[in-house]
Amino acid sequence: MIRTLFTRELLGGMVTPLPWVLLGGAQIVLAWIFLQVIESFAGLDTASRQHPLTLELTLNLFGFTAVILLFAAPLIGARMLSAELRDGRFTLLASAPIGSGEIVLGKYLGLWGLLTPLCLLPALNLLLLAGATPLDAGQIAAATLGLWCSAGLFAAVSIYASTLSAQPTSATLSAFAVLLLLSIVGRAEQLIDGSLSLLGWLTWNEHLLWFLFGAVRFSDLAYFALFSAVFLALAQRRLDNRRLA
Amino acid sequence: MDTLVRATALSRHFGRHPALADVELTLDTGQVLGLLGPNGAGKSTCLRLLAGVLAPSSGRVQILGIDLARQPRLAKRQLGYLPERPPLHPELRVNEYLRFCARLRGIPRERLASSVDAAKHRCGLDRVGHQRIDTLSKGYQQRLGIAQAIIHRPRVLILDEPTEGLDPYQIRALRALIRDLAHDCGIILSSHILPEVQAVCDRVMILHRGRVRYDGYPAADHSPHLWRIRLGAPEQGERLRAADCLDQVSALTEDRYRVVLKDGASAADLARELVTVGVDLHELQPERSDLERVFFDLTGAEESA
Repeated sequence: MIRTLFTRELLGGMVTPLPWVLLGGAQIVLAWIFLQVIESFAGLDTASRQHPLTLELTLNLFGFTAVILLFAAPLIGARMLSAELRDGRFTLLASAPIGSGEIVLGKYLGLWGLLTPLCLLPALNLLLLAGATPLDAGQIAAATLGLWCSAGLFAAVSIYASTLSAQPTSATLSAFAVLLLLSIVGRAEQLIDGSLSLLGWLTWNEHLLWFLFGAVRFSDLAYFALFSAVFLALAQRRLDNRRLA
Repeated sequence: MDTLVRATALSRHFGRHPALADVELTLDTGQVLGLLGPNGAGKSTCLRLLAGVLAPSSGRVQILGIDLARQPRLAKRQLGYLPERPPLHPELRVNEYLRFCARLRGIPRERLASSVDAAKHRCGLDRVGHQRIDTLSKGYQQRLGIAQAIIHRPRVLILDEPTEGLDPYQIRALRALIRDLAHDCGIILSSHILPEVQAVCDRVMILHRGRVRYDGYPAADHSPHLWRIRLGAPEQGERLRAADCLDQVSALTEDRYRVVLKDGASAADLARELVTVGVDLHELQPERSDLERVFFDLTGAEESA
């Protein structure tokens, strides 16, 4: 049943213009950043180059793609449940012999699937340099994995926000608010006390950074898995509560 | 006869507002039960509770003896539900949508095509299989809503205002479809249109302000001998006994009476005789059908009170 919902969401999303517009827009901006990085790197002599080219590219291209994903996930995610609740289409799922957990997982995987091409976009851009200059393939793979994990977290937050309201705009704004909080919560650490490492740990970008450096750490994978699971559990609970409300 | 649905002391509150209170309901195989009531009576809430879309505040629902709250998956396999607004995906084609619904209902892959074809055929959708749903007329969209509800051949079919938006031809075709479907399942449908319920339902339940006010089997046709009259003055009632064409006379109020004509007598005979016996006839109207009378007695009278 999860596969049925996953396929439906994936195909349903692909016939709407939004993912394609986001993909096209992201490619235009990434191409411009790519060019900027290459130009500035090529303009420096060997002694002046502080970082290897791969790191320069991963930090800029993958970092910016993460920001695009942060906006794309709530926009696409709002139509998954919020729009269905508004149009009454959710009744089809609510009256079918499937559990709310399956509904949430099917929709989540569908959204994650729709975000996956965006995650692959920076790596595809880097293919242009294949043969021209040696790049660290391991680091690029790690950065792509980190981006994909981030997309998973953003998708989970968006699905949860989508269950909160039958108004897609409200759902989108709620998801933005949660993701923004998870982006800046680590700054509080600098303001209050340097030893307060918990707030830093809560920030998704701190974990993504390690992937961009080429380090795949279990703690970072666990962070994304744990937070995604928490938001999906909240979404399931919210759907169950809708029957009672 | 198998009991397909049994609802016991079913109640539902929305905040402090009681939408449904102490509803007792049973449905047997082959039966078409009509839920009748004015807007806001609780019909849709009742159907949503029976379909498992809403959870009751108290009470329980059993589908073929399976508790809907405890074993929702098992119970929902036996249910087909058409909500007030058909749950359609406008970006899909009819065939794609029905295939998706069939998968949701757990129909095995090898039976998928035949189930879709059968549902389309029953609902007259054979010619629009490749059409996008958002290009279909309202009537066809309603038919598609019914098709998704029957695709898995449920034992219980719940239809919320199924004739909404249909033209008279489509309504007639839908009535035939409902009667046809009722051969192998039980159907509960809601409507606020009295003739609609009268034409298609075996049994009628009237809901008013969330409570069941009537549950019975009203006769579809009413007698042509039943009339209601209003007299000019209350004291003229006694003179009605003198009219030869009247078989029975019963007082409704001081000046209103329900009368039964003798066989062979007509309304014209009654009017003539009442004038002869010196009664001022202010109103003479045929008695409404049983269902109509029950409905207005239970709801209309109370509204105007």
